[in-house]
Amino acid sequence: MKTQLIIYISAFLLLFGCNKKLDVNPTQDVAEEFVFNNDANIKAALNGAYDAASNGYVLGGDLMLYSELLGADGEISWVGTYNEPREIFRKTILKTNGYVESSWSNSYKVINICNNILAHIALVDDADRDRVKGEALFLRGLMYFGMVEFFAKPYSAGNITTNPGLQLVTAPTVNGQITNANLVPRSSVKDTYDLILADLTAAKPLLSDEIGVYANKYAASAILSRVYLQMENFSGARDEANEVINDSGAELTGAYAGAFNNTNPSSEDIFVLPVTAQDGDNDMWLFWSTSDYGARDGDVEVNQAHLDLYSPSDARLALFWDVDGTYYSGKWKFQYRYLPQVRLAEMYLTRAECNYRLSTSVGATPEEDITTIRNRAGLGSISSPTLDDIILERHLELAHEGQRIHDIKRLRQSVEGFSYDAPRLVFPIPQREINAVGSNILVQNEGY
Amino acid sequence: MRKKILGYIGFVLLLLPTVVIGQTTVRGTITDAKSGNPIPNASIVVKSGSSGTASETDGKFTLQVSSLSVKLVFSALGYTTRELTASANMLVKLEPASAASLDEIVVVGYGTKIKKDLTGNIAKVKGSDVQHMPVVNLDQALQGRAAGVFVEGNSGKVGEGIKVLIRGASSISASNSPLYVVDGVPISTDSYSGNPLADINFNDIESFDILKDASAAAIYGSRAANGVVLITTKKGKAGKTNLQANFQYGINKPTHLRGFLNAKQYVDLIREAAINSDHLEGVDPLDPNQYEDSWLEFVEGRLTRYSGWSDWRTLQTNTDWQKLAFDDKARTANVDLSASGGTEKTKFYTSLAYVSQDGILVGNGLRRFSGRLNLDQTVSDKLKLGFNLSLSQTNMDQVSVDNEFTTPMQMVALAPITPLRDQDGKLYNRPVTTYGNPYVDYKEGHYRTTIYRNIGNVYAQLNFTPHFFFRSEFGLDIQNQNDDEFYGFNTTYGTGTNGYGQSSWFRGLDYNTNNFFSFQKTFNSVHDFDAVLGTSFQKYSTEWANVYGEQFPVESLQKLASAGLIKGGTSESNNSTFLSYFARANYKYKDKYLFSLSGRADGSSVFGANNRYGFFPAVSAGWILSEESFLGSSSIVSFLKLRGSWGLTGNADGFGNFAHLGLWGGSSYNGTGGLSPTQLANPDLKWEKSNQTDIGIDFGFLSNRISGEIDYYDRETKGLIYNVPVPGNTGYTTKTVNIGAMSNRGFEFVLNTENVRKKNFNWSTSINISINRNKITKLDGVQTMIPGNDGRYLNSLIVGESIGVFYGPKFAGVDPANGDALYYKQDGKTTTNDYNEAGNFIVGNPNPKMIAGLSSNIKYFGIDFSFLFQGVFGNKIQNGAGGFMSSSFDWFDNQTTDQLDRWQKPGDITNVPQLRIDGANGTGASSRYVYDGSYVRLKNITLGYTLPRKFTKMARISSLRVYVTAVNLLTFTKYPGWDPEVNTDYRADNRNQGSDFYSAPQVKNVSFGLNVGF
Repeated sequence: MKTQLIIYISAFLLLFGCNKKLDVNPTQDVAEEFVFNNDANIKAALNGAYDAASNGYVLGGDLMLYSELLGADGEISWVGTYNEPREIFRKTILKTNGYVESSWSNSYKVINICNNILAHIALVDDADRDRVKGEALFLRGLMYFGMVEFFAKPYSAGNITTNPGLQLVTAPTVNGQITNANLVPRSSVKDTYDLILADLTAAKPLLSDEIGVYANKYAASAILSRVYLQMENFSGARDEANEVINDSGAELTGAYAGAFNNTNPSSEDIFVLPVTAQDGDNDMWLFWSTSDYGARDGDVEVNQAHLDLYSPSDARLALFWDVDGTYYSGKWKFQYRYLPQVRLAEMYLTRAECNYRLSTSVGATPEEDITTIRNRAGLGSISSPTLDDIILERHLELAHEGQRIHDIKRLRQSVEGFSYDAPRLVFPIPQREINAVGSNILVQNEGY
Repeated sequence: MRKKILGYIGFVLLLLPTVVIGQTTVRGTITDAKSGNPIPNASIVVKSGSSGTASETDGKFTLQVSSLSVKLVFSALGYTTRELTASANMLVKLEPASAASLDEIVVVGYGTKIKKDLTGNIAKVKGSDVQHMPVVNLDQALQGRAAGVFVEGNSGKVGEGIKVLIRGASSISASNSPLYVVDGVPISTDSYSGNPLADINFNDIESFDILKDASAAAIYGSRAANGVVLITTKKGKAGKTNLQANFQYGINKPTHLRGFLNAKQYVDLIREAAINSDHLEGVDPLDPNQYEDSWLEFVEGRLTRYSGWSDWRTLQTNTDWQKLAFDDKARTANVDLSASGGTEKTKFYTSLAYVSQDGILVGNGLRRFSGRLNLDQTVSDKLKLGFNLSLSQTNMDQVSVDNEFTTPMQMVALAPITPLRDQDGKLYNRPVTTYGNPYVDYKEGHYRTTIYRNIGNVYAQLNFTPHFFFRSEFGLDIQNQNDDEFYGFNTTYGTGTNGYGQSSWFRGLDYNTNNFFSFQKTFNSVHDFDAVLGTSFQKYSTEWANVYGEQFPVESLQKLASAGLIKGGTSESNNSTFLSYFARANYKYKDKYLFSLSGRADGSSVFGANNRYGFFPAVSAGWILSEESFLGSSSIVSFLKLRGSWGLTGNADGFGNFAHLGLWGGSSYNGTGGLSPTQLANPDLKWEKSNQTDIGIDFGFLSNRISGEIDYYDRETKGLIYNVPVPGNTGYTTKTVNIGAMSNRGFEFVLNTENVRKKNFNWSTSINISINRNKITKLDGVQTMIPGNDGRYLNSLIVGESIGVFYGPKFAGVDPANGDALYYKQDGKTTTNDYNEAGNFIVGNPNPKMIAGLSSNIKYFGIDFSFLFQGVFGNKIQNGAGGFMSSSFDWFDNQTTDQLDRWQKPGDITNVPQLRIDGANGTGASSRYVYDGSYVRLKNITLGYTLPRKFTKMARISSLRVYVTAVNLLTFTKYPGWDPEVNTDYRADNRNQGSDFYSAPQVKNVSFGLNVGF
């Protein structure tokens, strides 16, 4: 009896010794402390930054969609059921618009990854350190640029030192701490552009010169040319565009249609996002194509007002397709097709415009560049093109590729009666952010 | 049989010495104290021993005992248990039990108690009360039966999630579900899809004991903050083998349908909406010159498209899409076979059951086969062994969650002018249907789930002395699940990709060991003392994998082997562990004064090393006044007890296994793996703790023919875990922190009456009423409000208000001048037609103020009649789909018939704004779509007839009963939607309550049954 008791009590007490069973580690995730401690992990995080950037809410289509919806001006219509894009199309955006909110937070997600990489850049092997640093800087600059174009008044609206830009965060978020670096007011438009320029110019010499799906020297130049164009720094824009045209090795595709719906980078893609069955979002296809191609319901229709801008023999016109007389963009017909972020054609148009404005002919004359673009579209040249000719060519060549509202704003045009600097062409700061940061720190945009 | 069983456990016998003791024979007869009739199949067991037997049909029994001084316990279903000292020849009279007998045995954690001696609050629901109710889930069967237990199905989808709240919600983002413990083993309530409680055949259940206050629940420590449901399965009794067979068959219908516009109304109203929108833009579309590019042209173009082959102008088609969403041939069939019996040493209960319930929605259904074997073996006076083992196979046909275009209920959004099929008989889909046609997904796709579930445990109990034993339990809960999905070429998921297929596999393994000592002794015949001390270890692990693909060559090849493109796949595993130490001591002095003390220390892997252990103590006391001399002789008061308890319980479930860590997970770009942040760290994360006080009175009057309980409780929960919004510029959107506090205070009132107690006529009634006030008392200390964060719903977290209150714009009706929807500005007086300028107000509370149940049982000779009314009062429901289905034709969704009352001309007084296509006239989430959700429902009603014994005897069966039973037969409510028992499944959580979004109404079932005993 006594021995039994002892046996059982011993067995019972044995259970007191199994504290180790409480040490359980995650199997799908890595704890933060184990991420930034070696070269391979930091490079994996860099790939993670690209993945985050290719999210539908960011470069995976929505930023392009927003630009086109804001700049619709009767040329396209949103006929889909989702409220959020509809609000953007109508310029009646709610502060709680979920798409706007997600584009904000997903852009900062990329920025935070980049900030983490930059903070630990010393751990990267010597051979790759510059490239990794350059790619992180490029992605950060690209994210801030993408955001400032929507969340702040355009550069062309002036008052750049007083108009609020973005919250500029360059320190990584570590160990769950929300610091004063996060609870910051918005910097001015000027300070925001300064950071973007600093990141992109610092990135450029560090990057590889191989164009394609990763950040590269010419992608940095191409984005810089866009930034300069927004700032109306035409010589800067011209020179960056010229460098891309001369040195990147990119060539216009033979046919205009060949620049889209590719399952590999095309010869004119300076920077392009891969979309495959395994990888990448394609929100352009999702909203611009139809249910026959697995997309939504042809939510963005192209109106006659747009089609009328083309001459009948324009190859770019032929790319549109219709269902019972309703036209859709042919650039975004299929799901698993690479999403061009910057094409070489844009560089010709930027160079042409800047040369024209500056009365220079760096690289080529405006007429030569416009001819290059028009010839590829199956059209003849225009002798001595005017600024309007160049702008129209840009409008048609880059139609529905996400440049529309930004061009309208920098060109000080109006859209649907809204002036280029109208508050309603600027997104609200998401209410979620104002709640989280505090309305005394984070100011809302005018008109919301 | 017995030999085999003994052989099976023979190895145990070899290991342990058996003790042979002297034997004496006891004989006797057991009779009904009122009628004098013999009681068959009554149980006679030796107290603090292990031998026992059951009475024969004439009430006689024979039992071997060690000596005549032992105490025997006599019990029978429907009678009060008696304890008598053995004698050679006994005549035992048992009193018929009152509706809720105070002598009834209540299961507590790691032991049992007599209800009279409880100091905590435990609600008991007998298995026999819910037996053969034609529902699938045991939690559905509990609805309305116990005070303080709120049960709400998300919708009428079969096998769907069901919310069970005991004394209100205690948590914002961790689990609010009670812990379920089956025969001592906590079972898993997680699954890959579907409701894991649907795997359990509740006809095998002897009792549900619901631990509500902290004193009762604290023995389950960190898992007990939401209460504990202890489920005890049936055991065999010595004596004749009792065979039961139950057959049941019935029809299922929705409780209610909504009215939607027919083709003519649809065409008339949407054209009106288009014309109105044109007029607002200064266009007269009826002028042929202005028709082009008008809204009317656009709408009529769409009408043509949506009409397919037919002509909308002549109303050729009038499809009732709502009707198509429901299966008008839905049936329920149940077969339940069981056998129980045994000898003094070996007792068994075994069952085999089949349940088939067609959902009321097309493509929804559940079939379950289950079997059980419970075996208890008395090896000797010293050793008892046994096991409980259940196996089940559940097959489900699932339908998509409520916000998917493919879910059948979303058919109501389609235009009535759209024909179901084209002229070749092919089902129409987009672009002819307004949205994806769910009927196509139903006909040309499937989502089949197969779940194998094995819940079992083995135990051994070693009696050192009659007062002191050690018990060891080992339990396993194994879930094995496969979800097989295929969607054909014409379905929403399969279009453009030549089909879509997905196969998912899930395995859950939950193992648990309990080892404890139990001591019980009466000293000097006035000091009753009992104590438990033990440890428990639980490990829960899950593993799942899936693969999905497209490009199927033909639609008949539906397995992924035929997919031309394997699009992706994944596998994951998760683990968590709990290590616990627990103790409890009860002391009773002179059957009057009761004291109890318990505590549990829990360690869990879910929390970081800094906050890994928590301690959860409880104390309670009771005073049985009716035992005092000043009340003891009262002829009116037969029982009166005051009790009070305080305790601390924890909540460690429902927010993931690694919420304290900063995590980076795998991602992929350009075919190369990457790391991306997935979660912000919080090394300080710890348990949520609930501090609960309960004061109660148990009473019995007139020989306990009137009895009941009144309780007041106050539960304060602190350290609430919530994903607090953080600045997006951190790269994250939320952080999991212990921020808040919440309180639940309430009253519970239970009254049981025996209205008639006669030989052949019994009538009893039970009423339970519970009032709960839930209040958030603190968020993060800075914010006092976390408003609703998605455009369609208003559920918010506000300090001083109940969890999930609706906070948002208040609808001010329609401007009689122009038909604009109006909202109150923040001043609450002036109105605006701009939704963005509307103020925000608390416009409703989704938490019920009161829940109640009223049940009654009548037995009159062979006839039995019972019913249960269940009520929920004072809660509000928001229709999140209002902006689509009752939206003044904002878009092409078919509208509810209330839209016929729209504003048409200046001066019209109505609550339905002017129809405007694409006009967003009143469609924003507001009080306009918030409704009273109170209801009273005839939850269950049963009428049965048991044939007289003389007939059944001739047929050589021991009993035969025929019955008709119905669930949800009548519902009384003002809610204009489908059904007031609703919370849309795709977003249901602690905060997101009382929301409707194309949710299926509950099932109304009427079944006929036949019950045979052999």
